[in-house]
Amino acid sequence: MAIIFCFYSLAFAKKAVLSNIIVTNTRDDLLVYMNVEGAFTPKMKKAILSGVPATFSFFISFYQVRNFWFDYKIRDVKVTNTIKYNNLKEEFVVTRSWEKSGPQVTQSFDEAQKLMTEIDSLKIVPLKQLEKGRHYQLRAKAELSKVTLPFYLHYVLFFVSLWDFETDLYTVDFIY
Amino acid sequence: MNNNRYNKSASILSKEDKKRRKREIIISVVIVAVVALLTFIENRIIHFGADIPVSNTILMFILININLLLLILLIFLVFRNLVKLLYDRKRKVMGTKLRTRLVVAFIALSLLPTIVLFFFSINFITTSIEFWFKVPVEQALENSLDVGRSVYRHSEENSRFFMERISYQITSKHLLDPKNIKALSRYIEIVQREFNFNAVEIYADNAARITFALASELEDKPLDVISADNLQKRMPPKGVRTISERIPSGELVRIIGTVPFGSTSANARAFIVLAKLIPPDLVKKMSSISRGVEEYQQIKLLKKPIQATYYITLSIVALLVVFCSVWFGFYLAKTITIPIKVLAEGIRRVKEGDLSVNIAMVADDEIGSLVDSFNKMTRDLRIGRDQLELSARLLGEQNVEIEKRRQYMEIVLKNVSAGVITLDAGGFISTINKSAEKMLNLNPENILQKSYKTLLSGQLLELSEEVINNLRTSRNNAAELPLKLTIDGRPMSFIMHVNALKDDTGKHMGMVMVFDDLTELEKAQRMVAWREVARRIAHEVKNPLTPISLSAQRLKRKYSEQVKEPVFDECTQTITDHVELIRNLVDEFSAFARFPTADPKPCELPPIIEETLALYKEGNPQIHFDFHVTEDIPPLKLDRQQIKQAMINLVDNAIGSIRNEGCITISLSHDPILKIVRVEVADDGVGISDEGKTRLFEPYFSTKKAGMGLGLTIVSTIIADHDGMIRVQDNKPKGAKFVIELPAQSKNSGKQGV
Repeated sequence: MAIIFCFYSLAFAKKAVLSNIIVTNTRDDLLVYMNVEGAFTPKMKKAILSGVPATFSFFISFYQVRNFWFDYKIRDVKVTNTIKYNNLKEEFVVTRSWEKSGPQVTQSFDEAQKLMTEIDSLKIVPLKQLEKGRHYQLRAKAELSKVTLPFYLHYVLFFVSLWDFETDLYTVDFIY
Repeated sequence: MNNNRYNKSASILSKEDKKRRKREIIISVVIVAVVALLTFIENRIIHFGADIPVSNTILMFILININLLLLILLIFLVFRNLVKLLYDRKRKVMGTKLRTRLVVAFIALSLLPTIVLFFFSINFITTSIEFWFKVPVEQALENSLDVGRSVYRHSEENSRFFMERISYQITSKHLLDPKNIKALSRYIEIVQREFNFNAVEIYADNAARITFALASELEDKPLDVISADNLQKRMPPKGVRTISERIPSGELVRIIGTVPFGSTSANARAFIVLAKLIPPDLVKKMSSISRGVEEYQQIKLLKKPIQATYYITLSIVALLVVFCSVWFGFYLAKTITIPIKVLAEGIRRVKEGDLSVNIAMVADDEIGSLVDSFNKMTRDLRIGRDQLELSARLLGEQNVEIEKRRQYMEIVLKNVSAGVITLDAGGFISTINKSAEKMLNLNPENILQKSYKTLLSGQLLELSEEVINNLRTSRNNAAELPLKLTIDGRPMSFIMHVNALKDDTGKHMGMVMVFDDLTELEKAQRMVAWREVARRIAHEVKNPLTPISLSAQRLKRKYSEQVKEPVFDECTQTITDHVELIRNLVDEFSAFARFPTADPKPCELPPIIEETLALYKEGNPQIHFDFHVTEDIPPLKLDRQQIKQAMINLVDNAIGSIRNEGCITISLSHDPILKIVRVEVADDGVGISDEGKTRLFEPYFSTKKAGMGLGLTIVSTIIADHDGMIRVQDNKPKGAKFVIELPAQSKNSGKQGV
């Protein structure tokens, strides 16, 4: 099994990464910004243009770091960005779970890609939950949710999938 | 010792353990290497890169590895069996040929259809997949999609045309001014009606809806206000932007434009929204087309993986079929050949004499009945052999008994003083005992299993044939006859009893000859008789001799002078001389008759012989006398006078046998083994005939003209009185040799005796 994983990690050496992770705050809330890079491949674009919906999931956990003890989890957030191409209208519909304004429609793939890979000013916790001078840690990673093949082909082609990625877990430490 | 043995066994065990561990390590390393290799190959062949979900990947690798491991195991088993089969075939193990044939047949039977089916299926799948993605289908779908798109495009372009004019009218007539609101409302109602839009809306630059006009289809339905975000979005170069929403009566396509037309959203004074309702049926059909195209595209995307999957699956199935069939071939061959092998092994063991073979195999086919028959056969053979062994044991016991009796009889025959010779029905000598060998001086090897006809010749053959014929023909089963033979120059006298052997049915089985050596007995009897005769003759003859002699002397004395006839004197003298001669003879008789018994005393023999020779050496210069004596002659118990007489007689005889010149050799030797002293008196004279030899020691047998023939008789008597033995034999190359054997005492005992 170890060897399988070894090969597995070799196979996915060209990984997607999270970049520009910024933790900031407004007057009331703690916000986070981040980007996924290297998530879109030509093959993936082809699949999206073929009408396969794709969902990026972002897992963000917020911990209070404690010495000599397990860290205390303050918040666990999962947000998703989903893209679906409408070939009739030749437009991309991007649904961002954390935005209240509803799906965004664009005819530009670049714009859709940008919408998919960005998390902007996502509220994590209200500042009043934090204590001054304490050590906190934000852990984040992104992955592509499992794509279901049409016609239940995933049951037949169980080892065939269009794409996949999962970033490492990134951490940002700060003292409030 | 025990410790050593224990250590040895312990070391053997540990060696086996080591071997086992080594094997396990090798197997583990091989499995790990195989898994690694497989994973690598899978990864290379089915390069999914980063496109495969983790869980699927792991599952896929596990499943593929398990499958491939099983396949490799099957391949290993099949190849192992193949190698084993080849090896067995080389060693010519029983059943390998049949196994080979069956396996080859199965491989051939399975391989051909499998290969055909495999390539057919591959071809079929390839063709089918290619057929699915045929260009016309794709083209048709694309065209359909284009038709669908054209609906929206047409709607947008149409709206754009009107949008431009409406915007111009609004701007030119200043309808956005607050005082002209009503005019604006009227205007858009006219527009809605005239240009056949389902809805026309006017939004202020702050996204507030100023006015709107609805067609009758939408009048009873609320029309949502477009959000400020939506309105404020960047306007594309073509100047209009389309948004759509689903409503129960179809899809409402809303085209947004700016006033003035073509300005950016930020610079717009107002927004015009023209809405067209697409009927539900058309919407449904278009979505269907869209979905169809999407699915087609997705399937097309999966074309290669699907193909690869089918190929892999087919290959695995084909390989499985082939290997399974090979395996089944082996299995079937085994089920057939193993009973045959066991049977052959059983037969081999039976051939080697192991009849305890019992093949325990339950089968209801022909081989089963063959095995049953084999078991029955071995059982019968075992019973038969047991009976045979019992008989053999009994026979063996009887043989032992017979052998014991035979040995007993042999011992008896060996120790019996009489000579025994048996002949079988064909006249072949079957046995001869020690006494017979000794008496006849025969080597049994030379005569055993030989016919008497080849062994005997001349008179003896005639005599024997006569006796045998008599025994065969007459009722009398026994015959007795005296026999005189010369053996090694020694005359021997036998009394022979010949008995015919007949079985219960009277069939002639051969004969047994028992003979006794009567030589010495006869000699003694003859001696006694002759002594009696001598005594009587001496007595009867001697008495008249004196008167005859006296009368002759008186006649001579009284009438010699008167007659004066020389004849008279000659006659009387002759009478006197012959009387004297007769007296001498009578004296000799008398001496023989009254021969004193020996009075042996210890004395040395060589001086006696030397004295004897001294008597003759002077008077016989033409004869050469030799005397050889060994140094180890022990003193003997001898009657010196008698022995000297005997030596004188022998030397006298020897001199008599030599005509002119010759040699007389006397040898004196001691045989410490037989404990005898041997005196040999040899001459190179005329020798003695065989007949003469038989009668030589009898009284009144003489080859000389003078003499009574008592000399050797006396010698014989003297030697016999000394418990010795005398015999005569031919001296090689000529002459005769008298051998005297006298019992010797050892030197020590002799000295003690002295």
